[in-house]
Amino acid sequence: MSGLKMKDLRKSFGAVDVIKGVDLEIEHGEFVVFVGPSGCGKSTLLRMTAGLEDITSGELWIGDQLCNDVEPRDRGIAMVFQSYALYPHMTVAENFGFSLTLARAPKEERERKVMDAAKILQMEHLLDRKPSQLSGGQRQRVAIGRAIVRQPEVFLFDEPLSNLDAALRVDMRMELSKLHQQLGATMIYVTHDQIEAMTLADRIVVLNGGEVQQQGAPIDLYNSPANLFVAGFIGSPKMNFTKVKVRSADATSVVVGSDELVDVMVPLSGRKLNVGDELTLGIRPHVLTTDSIGALKGTVDLVERLGNETIVNFRLATGAQWLAVLSGDIVLKQGEAVNFAAESKDILLFGADGRNLATAS
Amino acid sequence: MSWVKKYGLSAAAIAISLVVFVVPFIFIIFMAVKDQQQSAQMDFSWPTSFHVVENFVQVIQARDFMLITAYINSTVITVTSVALLVVLSALVGFVLQRRVTWWTPWVDFFILAGLMMPPAVVPTITLMQQLGIFKTIHGLVLIEVAYNMSFSVILFRNFIATIPRELDEAAIIDGARPLSLFFRVILPMLKPVTVTVIVVQTVAIFNDFVNPLYYLPGRENATVQLTLYNFQSQFVTEYNLLFMNILLITIPPLVVFLFFNRQIVAGMSAGAIKG
Amino acid sequence: MAVATAGAVNAPKKSRVKDRQASMYPIWLLYPAAAIYGILFLLPTITSLYYSLTRWTLFNSEFIGFDNFIQFFQEPFLYQALINTVIFAFVTSGLKVVLGLALAVLLTSPLIARDFLRSVVFFPVLVSTVGVGITFTILMHPTEGVINETLAMIGIDGPGWLVDRNLALYSVALVDVWRGVGLATVIYIAGIVSIPADYYEASRIDGATRWQQFRHITLPLVRPAMFTVIILSFIGGLRLFDLIWTMTKGGPGFSSDVMASVVYKQYQSGFYGLSTAGNVVLFVLIAVLAVPLNMFLNRKVVTR
Ligand SMILES: Nc1ncnc2c1ncn2[C@@H]1O[C@H](COP(=O)(O)OP(=O)(O)OP(=O)(O)O)[C@@H](O)[C@H]1O
Ligand SMILES: [Mg+2]
Repeated sequence: MSGLKMKDLRKSFGAVDVIKGVDLEIEHGEFVVFVGPSGCGKSTLLRMTAGLEDITSGELWIGDQLCNDVEPRDRGIAMVFQSYALYPHMTVAENFGFSLTLARAPKEERERKVMDAAKILQMEHLLDRKPSQLSGGQRQRVAIGRAIVRQPEVFLFDEPLSNLDAALRVDMRMELSKLHQQLGATMIYVTHDQIEAMTLADRIVVLNGGEVQQQGAPIDLYNSPANLFVAGFIGSPKMNFTKVKVRSADATSVVVGSDELVDVMVPLSGRKLNVGDELTLGIRPHVLTTDSIGALKGTVDLVERLGNETIVNFRLATGAQWLAVLSGDIVLKQGEAVNFAAESKDILLFGADGRNLATAS
Repeated sequence: MSWVKKYGLSAAAIAISLVVFVVPFIFIIFMAVKDQQQSAQMDFSWPTSFHVVENFVQVIQARDFMLITAYINSTVITVTSVALLVVLSALVGFVLQRRVTWWTPWVDFFILAGLMMPPAVVPTITLMQQLGIFKTIHGLVLIEVAYNMSFSVILFRNFIATIPRELDEAAIIDGARPLSLFFRVILPMLKPVTVTVIVVQTVAIFNDFVNPLYYLPGRENATVQLTLYNFQSQFVTEYNLLFMNILLITIPPLVVFLFFNRQIVAGMSAGAIKG
Repeated sequence: MAVATAGAVNAPKKSRVKDRQASMYPIWLLYPAAAIYGILFLLPTITSLYYSLTRWTLFNSEFIGFDNFIQFFQEPFLYQALINTVIFAFVTSGLKVVLGLALAVLLTSPLIARDFLRSVVFFPVLVSTVGVGITFTILMHPTEGVINETLAMIGIDGPGWLVDRNLALYSVALVDVWRGVGLATVIYIAGIVSIPADYYEASRIDGATRWQQFRHITLPLVRPAMFTVIILSFIGGLRLFDLIWTMTKGGPGFSSDVMASVVYKQYQSGFYGLSTAGNVVLFVLIAVLAVPLNMFLNRKVVTR
């Protein structure tokens, strides 16, 4: 059984630290997705796993093998690149079988494995084509097929779907999901795309600035983000934030408020807060409703009516821009003053250090 | 601007270029097929009688079939040098393009030096004598490789820059070692630039006069250019044969040109501009 | 945090990326090429610096300091070669730069048989220099040559192209231009066709004449190509040997000798030290004239 373990992995390019100590344990057969803003080190971490970048310090275990100094070909991994990186002068079959050709595998074994991969991907009829004669989606599948043929313990994907158009991306996403169930291999997947991350992952790892911000099941990250960064990053549209002050606090709840926000009570236990502490309050656009006695006073800037829902851009008295996604078709006029409300269980509070008060220990 | 003025000017320009660039070649052909007496007049006139075969046979037979030997030598030299140049320069271009380190500027400097600087002839001859490769075909081959390397490396390096690195990485993960990465993945993708290098260098080495003159003196190893040069003093009175010889050694480049016009032009201008 | 460290200039830690690169692209792949180039080109170039300071003949060699170089500036026939080399390089490259551009403009305008004309202009580049030299020697024959006979028909007394001491060098230069202008043209053409058609269309709407288009669009935008032509033909001019050697052998007298022909003559006469010194002078000439030219022109490209 081969899971994967990273112990305090670090990477610097010259004087620039790009990965600053990542600890991660991945179970065998798990589908793990790395997300994070551009430049946060997702690709670098993946490439360190593949052996395409050296590890500056820390340990990388694949199965029970310490892999820091193991050549890529001996790590039991396969990688699918964003640009596919197909060998343009080889046919699909030759692309599939190239690793076996290099390993001098017997011809019949090679042909069998190529055929197996082609069947899985339903590409038997395309084996004699060159990559230039394939569509974008087909090329993508060749790249995946090349990985399958190697029968790796771990599949690595670096934004594999980002060159496809939206419709094809949805199809390929489902195919990847099926493939994962079929092969039962460990998969590590880098993406920018929220939906890909939420739908594919057993576990999402949120990276920022070369550090793991939070990891966990997609829905857990959505419901209880560990800090402001994750709260803002996971979920679309983005969570709304505003600064508030503690008005009063007791053992099970806290009352916060600010100039633009009528005091609200949020259930919160086991926290020692002082009156006057500055906190950040976060509410997801989807949980807001219009309510004439709502605590949140806003001025409507822009209304987008989509029929089944209405997206309202509004401004608080401080000038902060918020977003509400209201269900149904609701008629609001630009410049209109509207009060919004949310249930107190849907309100998140973050401390001065950015951590979620409900989850932080 | 009147019609005549507009088109008259370019018509004149075209006519002049045609005369300037085509007449000398027609002159060569005319001279090559004339008899000895008419060719001795050295004028641009229609041949009174045609002696294609006769002149051809005489040129070939001259000095114990010297021209045949020369053709064989030149072919051997050209083919081997170009083959070596392609493989070695592609390798160098590959490593240099992919790997940027502290010594890269030095290598760039040496490449530039190879492109601009004339070789130091006498020290080279001394060195070749010590190595036992002076006056040998393989010695000249190595010289041609050394002297033409810079140009080829630049062409290859510029082309390899257009091949994404991810392809190398995919091959490495597939288990390729450096040599199989180069020969099985990179080299097959270099076909267009390889054709250019082959064509341009074939013409250059086949037409080379200076290096054989210095490094391959002596009758037994003569190349076609040397042979032609020597015929110049031998055939002082037989211009028809001299020009038949010129015609014969102009044919290979002409053939190459007819087939690979595009690659030659692309290669020469691209290499020159980026170099 | 990342931003703060990203700006750091010094990189004390040895980056291990190099190791990764080293195993993917190992340096030993360069060894065969480096050996051939290093031994047969670089090494002689370096030793030539020493040999040029010796009196070195078939029989012995003796260190004589800068005597060889002094000789180059004192012996009139050697000094003449030095001057001739520079003249030759300036004349040929100047003509190639101007005529090449003219031909390129002509051959990029819509013409009948344009591709054929391009081929015609370019083909001499591919022809044996020796063949070209011999052909033009005969065409330029003072009394019976086609050129002078043609001139005589229209009443001009043609000059002794290759036998006139004051003219021989320039005659060879003309032939070199004939042979090499095709390459310049092709480089210019590559530059001209890469100019976006938008510029011409926009200027036509603004009412520019053909001359104004050439002056304000083609000329500035073709400049990188022009610099290439200048450098290439200038260095080629400084190094030229084969054409001079097949047409005049430096004669009459020493009137058309250039550095490259002097190097060969001295080598033939067994004056190896002097020959090598000639080589070194040629290096220096190229370094002194071509390298700054290259840098100057490159800077102009950048600041364009
Ligand atoms: N070879 C390198 N040399 C120096 N810095 C590098 C190198 N490769 C990556 N970096 C830097 O490391 C950081 C992380 O890069 P990485 O490619 O891992 O980001 P990423 O999270 O994959 O971003 P994206 O989502 O845009 O692909 C970036 O700031 C990048 O500039
Ligand atoms: Mg990336």
